[in-house]
Amino acid sequence: MSDAPTGEKRKVAFLGGAAIDGAPIAYIVVLAAVTTALAFIPFSFALAGGGSFPLSQGIWALLGILLGPIAGAISVGIGTLIAIFVAPHTAGVPVVTLLQSILCAFAAGCMSAQAKRGGWWIIAAVLGGVGGLYYIGRAISVNGVSLGAAVLGSLIQIIGWLLYVLPTRNLFGKWVGSKNVVLLALGVILCTATSFAVAHFFATAITYTMFNWPQEVFLLLASIIPVEYMFRFIVAGVIGVGVIVGLRAIGLVKPERGLY
Amino acid sequence: MADVIAVLDKVSYKYPRSPGLVLRNISLEIYKGEFLGIIGPTGAGKSTLCLTLNGIVPQFYGGDFYGSVHVSGLDTVENPISKLACCVGSVFEDPETQLIATSVENEIAFPLENLKVPVDEIRRRIPRVLEMVRLSGYEKKSPAELSGGQKQRLAIAAGLAVQPSLLVLDEPTSQLDPVGAQEVFAVVRELNRQFGMTIVMCSHAAEEMAEHADRLALLAGGRLLALGTPDEIYPQVQLLEENQVRPPQVCSVFYSLRQKRLPVQNIPVRLEEGKQTLRSVLQGGRLLPPPAFPAPPAPHGTPLFSVKNLRHVYPDGTQALHGISLDIRKGEYVLIIGQNGAGKSTLVKHFLSILRPTEGSVMIDGVDTQQLKVSQLARRIGYVAQNPDNQIFNETVEKEVSFALTALGHSPQVVAERTLASLQAMGLEEVKDRHPLSLPKGERARVVIAAILAMQPEIIIFDEPTTGQDYRGARYILDISRQLHQMGKTVIVITHHLYLMPEYAQRVIVMGKGTILLDAPIRAAYHDTQTLESTFLTPPQAVLLAKELERLDGRAYPLLTPAELAGCFERQNGHLG
Repeated sequence: MSDAPTGEKRKVAFLGGAAIDGAPIAYIVVLAAVTTALAFIPFSFALAGGGSFPLSQGIWALLGILLGPIAGAISVGIGTLIAIFVAPHTAGVPVVTLLQSILCAFAAGCMSAQAKRGGWWIIAAVLGGVGGLYYIGRAISVNGVSLGAAVLGSLIQIIGWLLYVLPTRNLFGKWVGSKNVVLLALGVILCTATSFAVAHFFATAITYTMFNWPQEVFLLLASIIPVEYMFRFIVAGVIGVGVIVGLRAIGLVKPERGLY
Repeated sequence: MADVIAVLDKVSYKYPRSPGLVLRNISLEIYKGEFLGIIGPTGAGKSTLCLTLNGIVPQFYGGDFYGSVHVSGLDTVENPISKLACCVGSVFEDPETQLIATSVENEIAFPLENLKVPVDEIRRRIPRVLEMVRLSGYEKKSPAELSGGQKQRLAIAAGLAVQPSLLVLDEPTSQLDPVGAQEVFAVVRELNRQFGMTIVMCSHAAEEMAEHADRLALLAGGRLLALGTPDEIYPQVQLLEENQVRPPQVCSVFYSLRQKRLPVQNIPVRLEEGKQTLRSVLQGGRLLPPPAFPAPPAPHGTPLFSVKNLRHVYPDGTQALHGISLDIRKGEYVLIIGQNGAGKSTLVKHFLSILRPTEGSVMIDGVDTQQLKVSQLARRIGYVAQNPDNQIFNETVEKEVSFALTALGHSPQVVAERTLASLQAMGLEEVKDRHPLSLPKGERARVVIAAILAMQPEIIIFDEPTTGQDYRGARYILDISRQLHQMGKTVIVITHHLYLMPEYAQRVIVMGKGTILLDAPIRAAYHDTQTLESTFLTPPQAVLLAKELERLDGRAYPLLTPAELAGCFERQNGHLG
């Protein structure tokens, strides 16, 4: 008896109606809940924004990586919005936190070379770039911060933004899709770092307009921001690699725009 | 010809990550009002076939789908799952994974709210479906407070509330104790017979399927091998055994007798028919005297476990154990049985010092377990819990098996050697790099057992090791337990699957309501059917047939298996068979 299928091959689509941009709504909801849950855990020193930041920052980019730019941004947005009310101790400036989380997931979700959406990353890069220019420009021109201090205090974001704008963006996205766990970890960490830097620049432009911190704070930031980014790398690496390896292994359906 | 409710036409399917086709050219018609049983070994494609009926395959999983499935005239590829959900109710294996609401009535209302059913109509349907599954009066109860059988019936009620024309149940009783399984089968039969609901059910419970199903579909390797009534399918014992499917024991008995050319015209598939046929075999064949079974070795040596007047009361006031006393000696193979809530797991948890006695004592080698740390006991006692997933947390099978060895500080060489040996013993070498949760449940259980074996404990406790396993998987695990016993280990097994144990256990402890009802060698225990039934355990059909033989012949036949029963008959000289 032949085993070859004799029936007509059918075109399979996700017709459940329960998907957004190719990501099942169940995934969006679950990951939003995870974002909210992690927002309860503070993990930093009190900074210029006025409070410690939430552990969920480590997975903002991950949601973009897993769900794609639209579904990832929606999931993060829902999770962060709820967290602002239920875990206000880590919310910082709520609106800014919300916008930053959405942009971070969107930016991470754009880090693939998918032909159809090859140019989407430019939106994130422009928002981050303009934000960064405004932030540094305002520091120098309005608040008299020296160029050196301003650059030093935002060095991580500058490097991150540059790596996002350069073709390294697609390389990191490609690593996330690698079966090699080391490359996968590097991909997750670097996607997190660069997309977070882009969103960070955008958010800082708003918070700086509100708080206008002086040169001394820039110098302090120069030492603190790398430590904070390191925490985010660790969270992203540990959770991200585990989740992606697990998802691949158990064969759950992959969201259409997911990078992994 | 009866009305057709679902049609599968040349259905083939491949999951996105599966190496090959999981379903292969399946064509099948399901008739309105019938109870269709789907049988087959693990990996046969039974669950996938069920998922094609509600569109989850392929709409949720993706993959390559060939052919067509129509349910109530709807093509399951072209219509959304939400629409198909109105025609097809689905109930899955583990009731715990299906219940999400905080009360029974909310659980039933949930799917209806999703389907935008008006509130008044939801209020009308809730009492109706609760009555159908015999859960009236439980409306305000939390699903978490229900027993396993009640939870599964609630899942069925939630499925029924949408008024489907077809109810699909995938192994709905495999996680339940005998009482729970009986409750579910009774409800499903009632839905089918009284309300005319079409039922499709996958199950390894051969005796129950023979009793309730109108037709059976035998699947193996994704192919539909046979389709017919239970009376047509189950007598094909050779075909079933070739495909690792266990027939009802009554079939095995009379198939063997027919092989011996005794007068068995039709192989019965149900117990009552078996008893009738037994009479005709007695008339036409020669019954040998009861075989002499060697007396089990008398216990000797000092007890390994010594339990004295053990009483345990849980913090909520539940009295789980009432003054239990027993000794288990080194090298014994002990089976502990009893209905859910009988106190089996509570007793075993005292061996591991996971629970502390409210009164009384548990000694291991003369030392009170309360004086030992759990970690000290863990080196001597391996515990395989009922749900393997609760014990799995590493990324690969190999890491899972080696985890405890590394944590205990063994050298890398010892870790590597013992890990390899354990993987080989459990047949897991080929999947050592896989994620444990990506394996089928049967193999996940073997991963946990391999991890325990690697620790080389002297006592191994298996808590419901055969739950959720097919016949082959269950036998595989029990064969390992026998090997361990032959190596001198002390083995304690808790199970509801009595038919599996005659070839393994020597001593049976029957528990009921926190007390020991019977502590006897396996033959005596299995033939004390009154005591078994008092704790809602059903003896294997071979035992019940042996009891019938005793009744007919007057002599005691302490038989346990179909082979032993068949061995008691010979052809009469000159009988042509």
